[in-house]
Amino acid sequence: MTLRQPKYLTLAIRFAALGIFLLVWDLAVRLGWIDPLFLATPLDTLEHLVPVAEHAAPDLAITVTTFLSAFAAGVIVALAIGFAIGISHYSRRMLLPLLALGVTIPKVTLLPLFILWFGIAQTPVIVFGALSGFFPMVINVMTAGGEVKPNQVLLAKAMGFGPLQIFRKVTLPAMLPVLVSGLFYACNASMMGVFIVELALARHGLGAVVHDLAVTFQTADMYAAVLLTASITAAVNMALWYAARYFGRWRY
Amino acid sequence: MHKLSPTLARLLLVLVLLVLWEIFTRFSSVSAILIAPPSAILWQMAQILVRASNVPDFYANAWLTIVEILIAYAVTAAIGVLAGIAVASSKVIGDAFEPILLVLYAVPKIILYPVIVLMIGTGPATKIVFGVFVGIFVIIFNTAAGLRQIEPNYLRLAHSLGYGGAKIFFKVQLPAAAQTVLAGLRLGFGYTIIGVLTGELLLVNAGLGYLIDWASVNYYTAQLYALIVITLAIGVVANYVVGRIERHWVRG
Repeated sequence: MTLRQPKYLTLAIRFAALGIFLLVWDLAVRLGWIDPLFLATPLDTLEHLVPVAEHAAPDLAITVTTFLSAFAAGVIVALAIGFAIGISHYSRRMLLPLLALGVTIPKVTLLPLFILWFGIAQTPVIVFGALSGFFPMVINVMTAGGEVKPNQVLLAKAMGFGPLQIFRKVTLPAMLPVLVSGLFYACNASMMGVFIVELALARHGLGAVVHDLAVTFQTADMYAAVLLTASITAAVNMALWYAARYFGRWRY
Repeated sequence: MHKLSPTLARLLLVLVLLVLWEIFTRFSSVSAILIAPPSAILWQMAQILVRASNVPDFYANAWLTIVEILIAYAVTAAIGVLAGIAVASSKVIGDAFEPILLVLYAVPKIILYPVIVLMIGTGPATKIVFGVFVGIFVIIFNTAAGLRQIEPNYLRLAHSLGYGGAKIFFKVQLPAAAQTVLAGLRLGFGYTIIGVLTGELLLVNAGLGYLIDWASVNYYTAQLYALIVITLAIGVVANYVVGRIERHWVRG
């Protein structure tokens, strides 16, 4: 086997790039480009990963529960409202611009209001996480309705399909790719929402752990906690990303 | 029955909601600290804009936020498009780096925020860098996708007409990819604003984020709402302008 085959070349380039990144990171600390107070070496970070994971386990559980409540609430409300609005062409044209505005406006500016209304316990975290996930999801739910082609439904009817069969064979496959990619965007946004509030004010949860480790300059622990959080969130989001592609594969 | 145009209906809906909000705040027993009536918010906004309010240095702080957004977006757009071109330039490079970019994209960027603060400090640079992180990925992906979806026959034709590499790039590839690239640049702009404002709201030491925090901790509720509306309006207007520019270019 030579390195000329693109597949090996691809892997070689990828791992070389990652290697260079780790090397520069390591040298930046060892050669004193960046104060070790602010940056821990990759090896230090890795060594602290397990202790931090054990230490942060209760907070991880809190964050997971909070996130799941927020995500579920945002998605369920988005499904209900999205389908209700999506039924009529008129209401879709009337409300879609308002809901699209909800995605693009920087909702983070509302954070002080959420604290004012909901205090500083878990409630603002859940509400803000739910709101962050709601808007991208509701847009996708409304788009998903438009993916169902009336002609296909008509054809299925003509072929003698019952309502349940039409739903399973025509409606659902048409909507699923858009709905699942909506879940991907909603999940990412909801995680972002939960972490913003946790970083800003929470006393529990992974965001609070990272915040405390940062302000007390337990640098290696903080990088380990960030790495841990990033790995978990990346794994969840990647799974949703591939799920969206899986459900959309019939199109190609 | 003559139907209202959806746009008019939408405006009416917003107006009705504002009136209900006004009535609710005037006649309910909810504390005036929690919620301000729209009329008071509007009045306060006018006062802030003519410097008649007690909000300290409004224009200096607003200007700082706008400059941060503009710098962040300039960096995001430049690096994002260049990286997208690099990813699309060769299959090997694309295959090597795309999984890395996808994983980075799947991580909610807010997790990296404490790392950026630790490395760069609490000045405007932190907000700019964070804005770049939040906004850049959609630009990279859209640029790469736009360049890849070009009809191969166009390139063959350009080759047979004797065009050189640079001429093909600027005369064929870039115009053909423009629509997708511009869509990415528009989305990236919205994300960059969200990133910068997230930094403002978490750091609260300068800019509109500082003013919002100032109003919040002093319980100046009308000022708080007014400042939030102004900040959101800046975001909405900026997104609208970029959207118009995009449509203009795509058509032209």
